[in-house]
Amino acid sequence: MFHWVEHTAELELELEARTEAEVFAVALAAFAELTGDSDGPPLEQVIKVEAADAAMRLVAWLEELIYLSEREGFVPERIDALELDGDSLHARVAGHTGQPAHLVKAVTLHRLELREDEAGGWRGRVVLDV
Amino acid sequence: MSELRQLSEVLWEIPATARSDMRVPARVFADRDLLAAIERDGSLDQIQNVATLPGVTGAALAMPDVHQGYGFPVGGVAATELPDGVVSPGGVGYDINCGVRLLALPLTATELGARREPLVHELSRSIPAGAGKTKGRTAGLDEILEHGPAQRAPEGDLERTESRGCLPGADPAAVSERAKERGGGQLGTMGSGNHFVELQRVARVFDDDSARAFGLRHDQVTVLIHSGSRGLGHQVCGDYVKQMDAVMRRYGIELPDRQLACAPASSPEGRAYLAAMAAAANFAWANRQAIADSARNAVSRVLGRQSAEGAHQVYDVAHNVAKVERYDGRALLVHRKGATRAFPAGSNEIPQTYRRVGQPVFIPGSMGTSSFVLAGAPGSMELSFGSTCHGAGRRLSRTGARKEVSGADLRRELEAQGIVVRSPSNKGLAEEAPLAYKDVERVVDVVERAGLSRRVAQLTPLGVVKG
Repeated sequence: MFHWVEHTAELELELEARTEAEVFAVALAAFAELTGDSDGPPLEQVIKVEAADAAMRLVAWLEELIYLSEREGFVPERIDALELDGDSLHARVAGHTGQPAHLVKAVTLHRLELREDEAGGWRGRVVLDV
Repeated sequence: MSELRQLSEVLWEIPATARSDMRVPARVFADRDLLAAIERDGSLDQIQNVATLPGVTGAALAMPDVHQGYGFPVGGVAATELPDGVVSPGGVGYDINCGVRLLALPLTATELGARREPLVHELSRSIPAGAGKTKGRTAGLDEILEHGPAQRAPEGDLERTESRGCLPGADPAAVSERAKERGGGQLGTMGSGNHFVELQRVARVFDDDSARAFGLRHDQVTVLIHSGSRGLGHQVCGDYVKQMDAVMRRYGIELPDRQLACAPASSPEGRAYLAAMAAAANFAWANRQAIADSARNAVSRVLGRQSAEGAHQVYDVAHNVAKVERYDGRALLVHRKGATRAFPAGSNEIPQTYRRVGQPVFIPGSMGTSSFVLAGAPGSMELSFGSTCHGAGRRLSRTGARKEVSGADLRRELEAQGIVVRSPSNKGLAEEAPLAYKDVERVVDVVERAGLSRRVAQLTPLGVVKG
């Protein structure tokens, strides 16, 4: 699950997930809420990212979604397959081609956090520049 | 905040002793009301964080329109001493050389009359809003990155553009392929968020002599363009924030906020960022040039060729950039994030025609409210590294604004005031509602009282085309 925290100029996203893999699905759902529009021709995208820690993988993941949204008009809907292997992430994302409405400029490192909590769940925070 | 002490009627300081990691004081230009708002949103913590940057000199500064950002607050100014002071990509921001350009048309609002709505419509039709997902790449992109609009703009426009629209040292090879892919097809597009093109009239002239020098007169029609370096700049900033985040420790740099990631300006990473930033800044000037060309074409179609040919550029200023400037004989790298250069009369950096009165500065208000034309004043060189404010400054979050007003209601209100509105979404319109912003008149009053810049003219909107 995710929610948006009040921030004067930007968008601050807080997310919770049961597993690290689910973090990326939650982040995708949040991003889709910002950019989502009505249906269009279905489209599948393969996303590969690599980063030294989990928080930076989250940043890289959102950056890929921004890029695909801006460049391809891709509106993500769900992850069909996701594999985490050491520093790298490989996913197949289903969605559609559309006219993404609210475009995020960038993913910042301000207040960036993603960690496993004592109960084994994952909690994260990321600020998006809009 | 107990550490905050008053230096003058509109200048406040948090001393460097307030925190063990601050290297210089943090100073805020504000009156008491603006300061109360500033204290509420976390920007004071952020400006103190900026005061910890290695090589920072004088003071870390917050303009009266400052608000919470990421890393630097929006409305922040910091100068680092070269060669070894740092450069922080986050201190410029993702929208490198976001800025404002003002065109003045050769007619009055009275003469424009009923052609106002068709003109706003034509501006809206001619200038793409939103992301613009053109997959093609502008021909000659590397040339634009290196030289800005030099090959594409009339001399009159170049002369009246900050740095003639070209920062030295730009290197297209320092710009990633992805940045070129993202921005390469976006030349001449406005973008979204707070970007806009506004049709206005000169409602009031405060300083006849300076207004005459700027080619402005009462009731004249103007076009104000607010946009930046689009996806290209966003990607350049993101690429280098991550690069510097990875190497900072190697330079012994520890910071209270990762988004302040930085490296010595003289380091390989610092030099590469400055070369890429200059390229993105040049792209932004070429972008605003292309938008200005589209605006003139729209004017030509609605008002005729003579009106388009007589539409002169008053000036074009950047408000997100880092520039090498000299103060008291020292070479400094001045980061302006949501702040505008405001050099006073006599500066060699401003066009000959304006040298007697000072550099033009444009302060857009929020949608539906006034914007201001200012001129740089001598106090900026003494107090703010040649800088002044850049806008009204946000007061409410985007969701906060949407809770207060609906886009449809706002559209009706603006139209009831006689302002023609073109916006791709009611949601986006609500997020940029005037109530989400501080009072621009109060912001301008503070920079004038502080001696950073002075009022020349007030512009009121006739029509808004929102990104």
